Amino acid sequence: MPNSNLPNYPSFMLRLIQRHRLFGWFLAVALACMAASGPVAAGPIAIEIIGGGANQIPITVVPFAGEERFTQRMAQIISADLQRSGLFRLGSVGSVRPLPVEPADINYRYWKNEGTETMVIGAVTEKTDGHVEVQFRLMDITKPSQLLGFSYTVSVPQLRNTAHKIADQIYEKLTGDVGVFATKICYVTKADNRFELQVADADGFNSDFILAHREPIISPQWSPDGTHIAYVSFERRKPIVFVHNLLDGTRTVLANYEGSNSAPTWMPDGKKLALVLTKDGTSNIYLIGADGKGLVRLTNTQAIDTEPSFSPDGKFILFTSDRAGTPQIYRMRADGQGEAERMTFDGTYNVTPRYSPDGKSFIFIHREEGRFNVALQEIATRQMQILTAGSLDQSPTYAPNGKMILYASEVKGRGILAAVSSDGRIKQRITAQSGDIREPAWGPLPNNRRKE
Amino acid sequence: MRHSLYALSVTFLLAACASQGQKSADIEQRDLFDQQQAQRQQAAKAQDAEKQAKIAREQEELKRQLEEQQRRQQAQGDQAIVKPLPGAGTGGSQLKGDAWSQLKESGSVLAKRSIYYEFNRYDIKEEYVPVIEAHAKFLMDHNDIKVAVQGNCDDRGSREYNLALGQRRADSVKRSMVLLGVGDKMIETVSFGAEKPVALGQDEDSWAKNRRADIVYPNEPQ
Repeated sequence: MPNSNLPNYPSFMLRLIQRHRLFGWFLAVALACMAASGPVAAGPIAIEIIGGGANQIPITVVPFAGEERFTQRMAQIISADLQRSGLFRLGSVGSVRPLPVEPADINYRYWKNEGTETMVIGAVTEKTDGHVEVQFRLMDITKPSQLLGFSYTVSVPQLRNTAHKIADQIYEKLTGDVGVFATKICYVTKADNRFELQVADADGFNSDFILAHREPIISPQWSPDGTHIAYVSFERRKPIVFVHNLLDGTRTVLANYEGSNSAPTWMPDGKKLALVLTKDGTSNIYLIGADGKGLVRLTNTQAIDTEPSFSPDGKFILFTSDRAGTPQIYRMRADGQGEAERMTFDGTYNVTPRYSPDGKSFIFIHREEGRFNVALQEIATRQMQILTAGSLDQSPTYAPNGKMILYASEVKGRGILAAVSSDGRIKQRITAQSGDIREPAWGPLPNNRRKE
Repeated sequence: MRHSLYALSVTFLLAACASQGQKSADIEQRDLFDQQQAQRQQAAKAQDAEKQAKIAREQEELKRQLEEQQRRQQAQGDQAIVKPLPGAGTGGSQLKGDAWSQLKESGSVLAKRSIYYEFNRYDIKEEYVPVIEAHAKFLMDHNDIKVAVQGNCDDRGSREYNLALGQRRADSVKRSMVLLGVGDKMIETVSFGAEKPVALGQDEDSWAKNRRADIVYPNEPQ
């Protein structure tokens, strides 16, 4: 039994683990019931895939040998990840048994006849020290060969994350882009006048709140190494910027100046943040050290300047300003020197710019005919594309590979999260079990983590 | 016990002044509703014209209006513009009971505490100028009273931009009051952005109710 393999965790950890197994069970049941698409009940939130890529990659994920002894089923987690990306078409494992575990077990002619092009096989083996070895292989069925093969030795609670890492490897091998299944997201929930800042895996599992309050929480932003989250809290009856340490659960006030303190965003090196203060009059953008020291003013206008977003190389800041009468997006040097350049000219309301991870484009909220939608603009060509079709979309955030955009939307008066691929083709909808869910922020890739 | 006696006496005072024994919140709520209806009718009429107007020009216009109002009042001599003097608050505490009841007087301009705005605007519409004037005069008459102006927005668009816009709405009320002669230090502004909506619907009626600056007296007896 897997329980006997658990290391000596404190009892609260055990409870946590058991709770996550329950989510896993929900997913297992949901997947079993699921056709090609439809809602996936994942414990506290549900993910629904609405669209799909034009050319989906056919892939068959065979249940891993020995995985049935654990509630975190590897093949199911990997399948759900790949399916959620919209870029894969999951094939059936058919009725012939036993299923292949090693490359030598594969009857290539049979699987080719079944229409299988790529296949994932693997095994989960318990070690004597309570750890588990996970082996997986990605096989090309059309020209029999192994595309990938790895082995991980992990503790039982890490099985889920290991499945995400395997899905990332597969995704990267077959699409050429970096996978983001093993990343984290954060968002704010509101239910019964209680606001919670929650952190969860990118698939919505393992959600837990890091802050709960009766007063609103907005604008969470991950540090580049994923260890801290900056956010705005109204808990002292006015907006104040906090920085929360996810490693030890402590937090510090980053900015509590007279007036509003808001819109924090980290410099790519993680040492400083840009933020917005009204202490000297109207909303202006400032730079501040991650320790709260060394405040420098970057903009100096009588207009609203807010929502700074750094270019990935740290040289530029995109921001929202109403200096020309309506809110539009501008770009300035990150040291505030020189003239800011206006970037958007289409429409009278363009806000919330976010640089793409490759720095070549940005996403923002564009208002047209009373609708607020996520739009994408290429910096070089100034070409704009509207990606979403909701009526009240807001707070877009890029996945760290730039392929998906998570944003807040609204359905029948209820706040939900939704995701859209950066080409607009694939759409997902994420709803909370109760109440509103909003203000998403997608965390960095795991290898951005600082070595401790 | 002392507290409840105090509350009782205040309630009695209110009941006497306010001809109906409603709580102030209820009175305010109804006034907001009436105001809302009037505003809606006006808003529909003015919609096209307002789209054309530039914010900067409206701000100039507002300033001019307020200054003209100030001049007119001075010329008429019936409402002296009193500049608050530092430390000139003696005797204020004696007046305070009257002052608070004056604020709550049913149907008075002072009972109105909210200024409503158009989408993405922070210029004060003409219909709310008397409200700001009344509170400015009240504050000049009682210059030991603190006031807070809280800016709010509907929840469409950007939460951060709305936070900045709410600050501008609060600041626009403060600036108007300061132009009328209220001491800068008496008025504190704060923005709640789109985070504290009074109406939760996703329709123009609800949005209009949330695009608002509230004049709040933190020490006012409830």
